[in-house]
Order: sequence, then structure tokens, then C-alpha cells
Amino acid sequence: MSLLEISGVSQRFGGLLALIDFNFSLEERELVGLIGPNGAGKTTVFNLVSGFYSPSEGEIVFDGRDTRGLKPHQITALGLARTFQNIRLWNDMSVLDNLRIAQYHRRGYRLHDALLRTRRYRAAEKRIEVKCRDILQMMDITDLAEEFPKNLPYGLQRRVELARALSTDPRLLLLDEPAAGLNSADVDGLIRLVRWIHEEFQICIWMIEHQMKVVMSLCRRLMVIDFGRTVASGTPEEIRNNPDVIRAYLGDDSL
Amino acid sequence: MQRHTLNILMLIGAVGLVTAAYAGLLDNYTLTVLMFMGINIIFASGLNLVNGYMGEFSCGHAGFMCVGAYTGSLLSAALFAGGKLFGAPLLPPELAPLFFPLILLVSGLCAAVFGLIVALPSFHTRGDYLAIITIAANYIIISIIENIDAIGGPRGFFGMKKTINAMYDVADLPWMLIWVIISVVVCLTLLYRLVTSTGGKGIAAVCQNEIAAEIMGVDTNRVKITAFMVSSGLAGVAGVLYAHVYGYVNAQAFNILKSTEGLVMVYLGGMGSMSGAVLAAVAFTLLVEGLRFAIPALNDVLHTLNILPADFEISQIWKWVIIPLILILLMQFRPEGFLGNRELTQLFPKLKRWITFR
Repeated sequence: MSLLEISGVSQRFGGLLALIDFNFSLEERELVGLIGPNGAGKTTVFNLVSGFYSPSEGEIVFDGRDTRGLKPHQITALGLARTFQNIRLWNDMSVLDNLRIAQYHRRGYRLHDALLRTRRYRAAEKRIEVKCRDILQMMDITDLAEEFPKNLPYGLQRRVELARALSTDPRLLLLDEPAAGLNSADVDGLIRLVRWIHEEFQICIWMIEHQMKVVMSLCRRLMVIDFGRTVASGTPEEIRNNPDVIRAYLGDDSL
Repeated sequence: MQRHTLNILMLIGAVGLVTAAYAGLLDNYTLTVLMFMGINIIFASGLNLVNGYMGEFSCGHAGFMCVGAYTGSLLSAALFAGGKLFGAPLLPPELAPLFFPLILLVSGLCAAVFGLIVALPSFHTRGDYLAIITIAANYIIISIIENIDAIGGPRGFFGMKKTINAMYDVADLPWMLIWVIISVVVCLTLLYRLVTSTGGKGIAAVCQNEIAAEIMGVDTNRVKITAFMVSSGLAGVAGVLYAHVYGYVNAQAFNILKSTEGLVMVYLGGMGSMSGAVLAAVAFTLLVEGLRFAIPALNDVLHTLNILPADFEISQIWKWVIIPLILILLMQFRPEGFLGNRELTQLFPKLKRWITFR
């Protein structure tokens, strides 16, 4: 069974068709890219998968469950996490707290446990703290635990956002333009980091990225969309030489 | 041991206060001001949960205080006083001190349920809408109570007076002061435990980026409703204490002006700071009481200096010019409040050595 199965999904915003008959499936532990020119509908796909929109047509099945009608936080609890194109960290709390809240759905206690500080509460908070510290250490940002994200440089904010997404215990991680705004040295670091995360956490990663260097070196499989339509899919080599893809990116020379 | 210093000091302070009140060292006025300080602390820190931590805008929180005050007073009258409305009292008056915490709890829960009723329709909208809905709720609650003649209508309600007297008959202790102190400690402890838990931190996450919160697995609707219920429940507890400290309750005491007092305290202290809300509640109570003396003094001084025309008097009404003015100045020069989103222990890290909270 595929981890994620998207079949015949279309998304309409008023008169605008943002996504047309989108079909896609992801297996466990894959690393796949989604590319396309600006406004092609890439982020719409992620917003649909993470439950932020409900598809106008078609169905999305994550781990055997139809996610239509589920709220984003319920889909996260099923094992899906994402980062955002424009970083969305909680800026006025520590990095550690950012990671901690990402385990909200795994806290396993209720309001009265917190108010009465029951044994269950203390055990859960301890478990959460250990897990967050582990992730901070694995991501090599232990010394940032007490920092506020707003005081961190852009590259580190991206890293913290990745750490926060991992803290939700995902099986599928969606990365929305992780290299946006990074300089070329940072981009090399990011490529290594994503590859390492993919191997270390044994999770499936699906990424949107504009920088060809990133997708070409990371992904075994790519999908290209333009104006909401699927243009091509295949290995990086196939994509690189596909005339439809070249037309989508560079325009049609018959014009 | 050192870590417990402040807790022990506070305990000594509380016991000292009660002893002083018992020995008659504090006059009635000072006692009342102290008790109102406690009530304001509960009201402000509860409101701070919604307006500070969650970043929503509840403008009519006195409505929930009103629900608490009336529920508590009616319960208290039904249990220990009886009367036309209730018939014979349900319990012997000797039990009054035992049952008062229960009255506090039940009225708090009742106010929380009212909070839920207001929260359910309004949390699909955000920001301004919640402000408008809460103001409306405040007016509705007051109007309904004012129009129920059985509980006194606009004349107010006295029924709980007998419960208070019953407590003094059981033992000659400063009961209300004791209840206020215990309530402040319990409420602040619960609030602290809520906002430091992973579940409670979801409240601040909703404030700082709601989309990220929802996508990262926080059940934002549930978090918002929980926060609002806890907040209105605390307002309810403050209301019961208010009614029993006065021995009289009137719906108009909880009008929009009272809600505004709550807002002033929250913004004065700094949004999302518990120690800020407590400090602001203390400062605000002292300010309001201070003006009671300062205004006539100012009036006299200005008259002796012949600055004011002889037939013009500065009355206590000017309090409501001065307090909003302070708020305006605060917004101009220190919009983040006294502490602004930080706790005292963050501003003065050395304090941590003296404090344990759990």
C-alpha cells in the first residue's frame, strides 16, 4: 500500500482552476521532488495534502485513510509534517518550546493532568523533553535551545523549522522550498542535511524546490506541474531532457 | 532550601496578614482594599490568558464575573440563608466555612460554561468579532439579571450576607481574607501549571502563528475554547469573592467599566506575563484607592492657589479621566506594558534562585 495516494484531485478557487486532475502516489521512504514555474500550483498541492484546503474533486488517501474532512492537526497526528515556504515559527518562545509544542498531539494527557501535575503528566513531559533534546542534538542546534527564533539568522530558522517538523514524528515530511533564501554554501549544507534526515529518520520526503541543483542531486523521482496540470514525471535525467518541461520553463519558441 | 525562600516569605506574609486582621490591627478599609487586590489579581490573570497569551480580545469579561457573583450568591443563600425564593436553608449554618470552597468551585464552573456558550459561536471568527461578541454578551448577562425580579433585579441581591455571618459565628476569623488568599494561590498555581504545560503552550502558539499551530498538530479550536473557559471560570471565582466581600451584589457593578478595568490591568502588566498581571492588579488597585485621596487633595490645593473657579470642584468622576489617560500614555511610551510578554524571573534571572513553582 502506498503511503500517500492522490487520485483525480482538482482544486478550484472561485473561477480559477489551481490544480487539474492531479494524480500521484508516494511509497514509504521515498525522496521525491515537485517542481514547476511560479504559480504552477505546487504549494496548493501541499496545502491539500496537509488538509489546509479540502479538494474540490478527487481523493487523498494517507496511510490508508481518506483525509477529506479531517482537520490539519488530525492529519499531522496520522504522521504528516511540513515546513513552510515563508518560515512560520513561533517567534516569541524558545526553540525548545517550538519543538515541544510540535508534540502537542502526542502529549497523551488531558487538562486535569496538567492542572494537578499527575504522574501521567510528569512522565509525558519528561518524554517530550527528552525527545526534543534528542532532535536538537541530532540537528546540531543544542546550543539554540533557549534562543528565540526571531533572533536567529535565516539559515538557522530553516533548520529549526525542520527540527520542529521532525518533532511531530512524521512518516511523510513535506518541504516547501527549503532552499529559498539560502546562499550557495547553505544550499550545499541543506542538501547534506535533507539526505541525512532521509536516511537517519527513515521517512518519506516530498519537496518543492526551485533550485535545480537541490532536486536533481536529492530526488530519484521528480514531478513537474504547470498551470495546475501535470507536465511530466520521471527520473531527473528524463525530466531534464523532456521537451514539455523545457517548454513550461522557457516558453514555446513557436510563439 | 534557598529555592523556597520566596514561597516561605509569601506564606509568612499571608499568615501575618490573617493574624493582623484577626488581632484587629488592620482597619476595615485596609482589609477591603487588600481583598480587592486579591480579587483583581484573579480577574486580571485570568483575562490575561485570553488577551495576553492567546492574543484574542475579550472585552466583556466582567459579564462572566457577574455570572460567578450571582451563582455564588444564590448558592450561598440557598444553602445557608433560605428566604422567600428558596424556602428553608438546605444546610445548617455551621457548615458554611466548609462549603464555601465548593460554592467557589461550582460558580467558577458555571461561569466557565457561560464562557463556552459565548466561545462556541465566536471562535470561528477572530479578532474584532470576538471583541464585539464579548461586549454583547456582557450586556446580555447584565440585562437578564437586572430583569429577574426574584433575585432583586436592579436593586441587587443580599442573600449571601447570612452565609458570611454564619462563618463568623462558627469561628471569629477574618474568613473572607482567608478565602481570598487561598483562592489567589490556587488560581495562580493552576494558571501557572496550565501555561507551562505542553498542552497549555499551545495557547501561545495559536497567538503567535495560528496556521503553524494547526499544521503542527495543535487542535487550535480546542485550545482556544479551553483557554476561554478557564479564563471566564477564573472571572467567575473573582465574582463570587467580590459578592461575598461586599455582602451585596448588583449587576451594574459588572458593566463594561469593570471589563475595562480588567483590560487596563492586563495591558498595564504586559500581555502574556503572569507576574505582570499580578503586579498590575496590585498597582491598579492601589492607584484607584490612591486617587480616592489624591483627587480631594488636589482639589483643595488648586482652590487654595486660586487656580480653579470657586464653584468648580474636581470630583471622584475624574478618576475615569485619569485612569484612561494613564492607559493612553502607557500605549504611547511603553506599549508592551510593565513586563511585556516576559516574566519577572526572565528579567531578573537571579530571582530563580529564590523561587520554586510547580
